[in-house]
Amino acid sequence: MLEIRKTNAVTRIGFGGKLIDYAMLESLREAVAAASADNAVRALVLDCESGGDDWMNMGEWPARLAHRRPGGSHGPGPLPEQDAIKALRRFMKPTLALLRGEVLGLALDLACVCDIRIAAASATIGDPRILQGRAPATGISYLLPKLIGQSQAMRILLLGEPIDATEARRIQLVHEVFADAEFDSRTNELASEIARLPTRAWEVHKLQVLPQLDLPFDAAMVHSLGIRQTHVIEDRVEGIKAWRERRAPEFKGR
Amino acid sequence: MSDETAFIIEDDGPIRHLVLNRPDKLNALDLDQHARIKRAVEASSGDASVRVLVLSGRGRAFCAGDDLTADTPAAEDPLKGRRVDLEMGAGPAFLLESAAVLRACPKPTVALLHGHALGSGYDYSLSCDFRLATADVNYGDPRIHRGLWAAEGWSYKLPRLVNQSVVTPIAYLGKTMDGQTAHDFGLVHRVYPAGADLRVDAKPFLDALAALDLDAYARTKARILAAADLDFEHALAFSP
Repeated sequence: MLEIRKTNAVTRIGFGGKLIDYAMLESLREAVAAASADNAVRALVLDCESGGDDWMNMGEWPARLAHRRPGGSHGPGPLPEQDAIKALRRFMKPTLALLRGEVLGLALDLACVCDIRIAAASATIGDPRILQGRAPATGISYLLPKLIGQSQAMRILLLGEPIDATEARRIQLVHEVFADAEFDSRTNELASEIARLPTRAWEVHKLQVLPQLDLPFDAAMVHSLGIRQTHVIEDRVEGIKAWRERRAPEFKGR
Repeated sequence: MSDETAFIIEDDGPIRHLVLNRPDKLNALDLDQHARIKRAVEASSGDASVRVLVLSGRGRAFCAGDDLTADTPAAEDPLKGRRVDLEMGAGPAFLLESAAVLRACPKPTVALLHGHALGSGYDYSLSCDFRLATADVNYGDPRIHRGLWAAEGWSYKLPRLVNQSVVTPIAYLGKTMDGQTAHDFGLVHRVYPAGADLRVDAKPFLDALAALDLDAYARTKARILAAADLDFEHALAFSP
């Protein structure tokens, strides 16, 4: 069972340290869609503590995908995994991944599709799937080289050896490392801080960066112009007003 | 705002310095200033006596970003009928062009970053080949904290200059960096002591650039820029 909590403007989702099965992936996809549709939600926190997918026992194949169940010697296709990852990738509000305990395989994939990654000092992070004779088809081969460079991505994906939080910070896989004792308070603080930002502006930043990873320069420039012409950030007015009045702005997220 | 002392062009041998000179405004950029940068880069690109192009700011800051107090339209109206969004102010079309012209300059381009180097000033620095900074620089893009955002190409350039992982704190969290942090991120190439006069301290670096073979430099730069968008086979075949 997926753990889902909504407090103030933040939706928190976690695996409770358990292995991830199809039912959890389906709930995750639905929870992300609900957070996307809810204007009151201004940030999403994903607690990625999990040993990865429960690959020997993923549970019942989702009925909605009954007509698309690929098989063969590699078992069923990774469609529910991909759908959950795509839902997070398309979610334009701020996403914050918490990495504590073990964060392995599919849990790392999900962390990598978030905007910000924060690790607890004792976290163990890695992708052991190659050691299990498996090849992930979750987009990690696209995401990781862009996040940390090809050189380090190959090491993580091909050697299957886990790294600690300090090393994860050094190779830029995580943005901050907090001591275990203060991990909850510091990450809650950070999530609240992010939820007070002008959420639409965050969305519009993401709307430019992500598609432009795959666009040539001139096309990216035209893309930016198009985004600019079709998205209004109401908080902009408050931002400039507060700057002129030399006070802290109070954003509505619209 | 057609004050021509606002932008100074100085040649130090083959090194051309483009100097933002509105120190009372921390070198904030209005449309006229953007127009001057674009003109100067275009002129320098075609001037055989120029071997290195350096962008810097006089006074306490490199550039504090766009001039939010500038409500008046530019004296020379660089947009001329291309003012695309009256509701949100002048469109980014012009700034987009001037940042693109700087990026496409075939010669070595360097940004000297000290004091504040923010917003559109930061954006121009991303168009340069090299970024040199003082340790105490306040460098980055805090525009998101005002609900502002820009379209001059940072969203394309930044993820190709540094790992995408550090794009998020810089662009989404709007966290500004000191010189060492920007160096750790791989965004700044050299860090100089706090308070350093970069025109003096970075002179050996600029001289070394001026000594390079310009033709080889231009071809190498064109390959690097193109390869960012090409697959491996096409990058091999690309020959500027």
